[in-house]
Amino acid sequence: MIYDYIIIGAGLGGLSAGLNLVINKKKVLILEKNSLPGGLFSTFKKGRFEFDTSGYDIYNYGNLEHVGELQKLLNKYEIDIDTKVIPFNSRIKELSTKKEFELKGEFEDLILELGDSYPGVIEKLKELVKISKEIHEGVEKLLIDEIPGEEEYTNFYKYLDKNALDVLKEMKIPKEVINKLSIWWLDIGSPLNKLSFIDFMDFLEKLIFKKDVVLCNKNLDFIMKLVNKYQALGGKIYYNSEVINIINEDIKIVETKDGLQYKGKYIICDLAKRYVFKDLIKDEYKDVNKLENARTIGANGVVIYLGLNKSYEELGLNNYKYYQFVTLDSGTNIKYMNNLNHNTWIGYVPNVVNENASPKNTTILVLKQIYFDDVFKNQQAQDYETIRNDIADNLISQFEEAFMVDIKEYIEEISIATPFTIERITNSVNGSMYGYMKKGYDNSIHRIISYDDEEIAGISFVGASSLLGSGVDNTIYSGYSVTNRLLKEKE
Amino acid sequence: MTKIDNLKKERKDIAKTYSGKKIKDTYIDGVIKNFQDIQYVKIKDIIEETNDTKSFILVPDEDKGTRELASFRAGQYISLKMFIDGDYTTRAYSLSSAPNKINKGYRITIKRVPNGLVSNIMLDDMKIGDGLTISRPMGDFGYNKVRDEKNVIGIAGGSGITPFISLAYEVDAGLDDCNLTVFYSVKTEDDIIFKKEIEYFNKHCKKVKFVMTLTREEKPGYLKGHINKDMIEPYIKEFNTVLMCGPKALYKTMNEILGEFNIPRKCVHYENFMVDFLPIEEKTYELKVILKNDFKICECKSNETLLVAMEKAGIKAPSLCRVGICGYCRSVILDGKIKMIGGNMEKALAQNDYIHPCITYPESDVVLRLDI
Ligand SMILES: Cc1cc2nc3c(=O)[nH]c(=O)nc-3n(C[C@H](O)[C@H](O)[C@H](O)COP(=O)(O)OP(=O)(O)OC[C@H]3O[C@@H](n4cnc5c(N)ncnc54)[C@H](O)[C@@H]3O)c2cc1C
Ligand code: FES
Repeated sequence: MIYDYIIIGAGLGGLSAGLNLVINKKKVLILEKNSLPGGLFSTFKKGRFEFDTSGYDIYNYGNLEHVGELQKLLNKYEIDIDTKVIPFNSRIKELSTKKEFELKGEFEDLILELGDSYPGVIEKLKELVKISKEIHEGVEKLLIDEIPGEEEYTNFYKYLDKNALDVLKEMKIPKEVINKLSIWWLDIGSPLNKLSFIDFMDFLEKLIFKKDVVLCNKNLDFIMKLVNKYQALGGKIYYNSEVINIINEDIKIVETKDGLQYKGKYIICDLAKRYVFKDLIKDEYKDVNKLENARTIGANGVVIYLGLNKSYEELGLNNYKYYQFVTLDSGTNIKYMNNLNHNTWIGYVPNVVNENASPKNTTILVLKQIYFDDVFKNQQAQDYETIRNDIADNLISQFEEAFMVDIKEYIEEISIATPFTIERITNSVNGSMYGYMKKGYDNSIHRIISYDDEEIAGISFVGASSLLGSGVDNTIYSGYSVTNRLLKEKE
Repeated sequence: MTKIDNLKKERKDIAKTYSGKKIKDTYIDGVIKNFQDIQYVKIKDIIEETNDTKSFILVPDEDKGTRELASFRAGQYISLKMFIDGDYTTRAYSLSSAPNKINKGYRITIKRVPNGLVSNIMLDDMKIGDGLTISRPMGDFGYNKVRDEKNVIGIAGGSGITPFISLAYEVDAGLDDCNLTVFYSVKTEDDIIFKKEIEYFNKHCKKVKFVMTLTREEKPGYLKGHINKDMIEPYIKEFNTVLMCGPKALYKTMNEILGEFNIPRKCVHYENFMVDFLPIEEKTYELKVILKNDFKICECKSNETLLVAMEKAGIKAPSLCRVGICGYCRSVILDGKIKMIGGNMEKALAQNDYIHPCITYPESDVVLRLDI
């Protein structure tokens, strides 16, 4: 049996690619190393709590009125999920100034509020919003292999090679306003002085026009829907099938750890190119190596999942999202994120938007700390357990202190994921949570325009490490966009 | 050249300045590559603890490629992987040794189960120098400094004492900052496992205390009867964490007692040690197992789990804990009626016909999908 396509990895990218291919009547096999699909986007149970591993903001979904790309795509796949729009509901603390503020409601509210404090800023922000629309359209065009017209997309071309911070400064937007707009850099994984303006505007456009949502059910429920649809359309999926070798000939041979072999005309990896060429393909590809050695792996980090035995109201956790930064200036802040117990983190309280997130009178709190350095390198393996607990302890203490709440006495369940956990489960290089870091010439825009040039015959890449980077919308969209190109080529 | 072409070229030019040599592992990649799901060990020593219990000291089997043992937390278990008459099976055993003395090996302590398959082989046939295959340390049971209170009450029944000895070493070594009192109930004095070590802890370690009770005899130095409210009361503080390990019946009585002390649910943790369910009627059904590239048909009995039925048929079905907790055995039921006893499964999986064969009994012919 020779499959049309063999997909390695049943993460969001791989499942989306699989679905689009079986919809187009292709013979597809997905090989997944774990006994469950989902990869980084999954759910695990501990005691009476079910924790979603990730996906606490799903961008670009929108609602009935503002239909986001992700929603459109899922409609196309005939996947029906229950979602809830999340209005901004974040509390942010800047440690260096001890200042604290809330971001609540809609983007328009934020603009108005900023306008009050900084006269003249409203016009500039409106201008920015307009530009973001144009840029978003430009990127969309590139994704379907069309070149945006130079006359029509002047802003797109004007800003094509600029970083976000430089442009915002050039536009004379006050520093404080830039800082408030940049808190999402932690979600993207790159500070504003590294992020391309195009990528940043594309993100802002989603944030403003396509409301982000949370799932009403758990991640695994969504994943199961994708798998069921894929199987119903004839797609095959094998679990416990870790690929250990790819032989890249005309007909590709894929070997799994259990000694089985599969043949396919084409391979799609829901994996980092770096991992595939480092560990799965024995032949040397000099150009790939060069490019890979030039890129920066995305940040890794630690995620603490807490099941608390009180309601969020009782605990005083009334915001969906909590951030602490040392300074709101992202380019400076990132420099502090280079040790195990630094002071920048995000907290999520899913119960605030979804009352079914955990049993009655309990709350889930997820704390996430991101590292921009090899912070584990000098630690001893035998201290690993202690280190893990110490990080958790420290992070929870910081959270309690920053927002004046009591957490520790209410912990019923705790689970701690480290970069080791993440890499062990998904083979994500260096335990990265963001694929590659978007920086310099490796922002999405660069990956998209260079896609054709960098293609290796017969092997494509989807998921967090591919075109669009990490995030539920991006990974699902990458699976769609990459397979569409392949289907077109074949015609 | 268009602006886009320029940008492409710049990306290319930068890449050109980098080395074309093979991409290197990062530090974390390296650690993960060395990470072994399976460990090969040799029996270094066998210690007769009581007339039906032996301890085994396991050290790395370097000839088979295991150079050092994976570290563990007190309370974790390993799963023994055995081939018995050609059939594959597993059994979980808590580690009873000191987590900080891993260079001396792991210790597991096995009590004979009447008619038990693996325990009898381990106790009767295994010799010093024999090799074994085990999983890495698994499980969540134990003390967690972030979650738990400083006053820890342990409740152990029979071989349920094993994780607590490991925990006592951890506390003794100053790795956990808590006071540990373990109530240990056995039938007679002769049934006490780790008697010497317990005496050592009671004498020399201020933060660890074992309180022993005998249910079938009266002897000086021991309490008499099953663990009860009066025994525990003196050790209860304002805030307590209770850890329990033993038969299900013990948990039931203990929960009633703990209820009287108003100990909140969040402070009580159990190790799932065994599943006790036996249908009365014995019937035989047909089990069809769909594998990746094959299928097998075998017999399954109403008083046998699907996992056991598969193992008896020579199918190498994955498993670790065998009590429905680790999720390692999960598979999809395609047809048939079953009864799953307990288990801890995500709702989305349960809704999609996933089961844990290790705790599932057939009630009709069954078709199962197992990706091996
Ligand atoms: C803590 C955390 C928080 C996040 N928060 C958000 C958020 O709020 N909003 C958002 O949109 N996104 C979020 N993300 C990101 C998002 O969840 C991920 O980007 C996305 O799920 C990645 O999908 P992927 O397709 O790249 O595949 P992955 O999830 O990486 O899956 C790859 C799959 O391939 C399998 N595999 C690996 N190697 C092999 C092999 N050799 N053979 C066979 N199979 C193999 C793996 O087991 C895995 O299933 C978060 C991520 C994390 C970790
Ligand atoms: S073996 Fe652990 S759940 Fe079945």
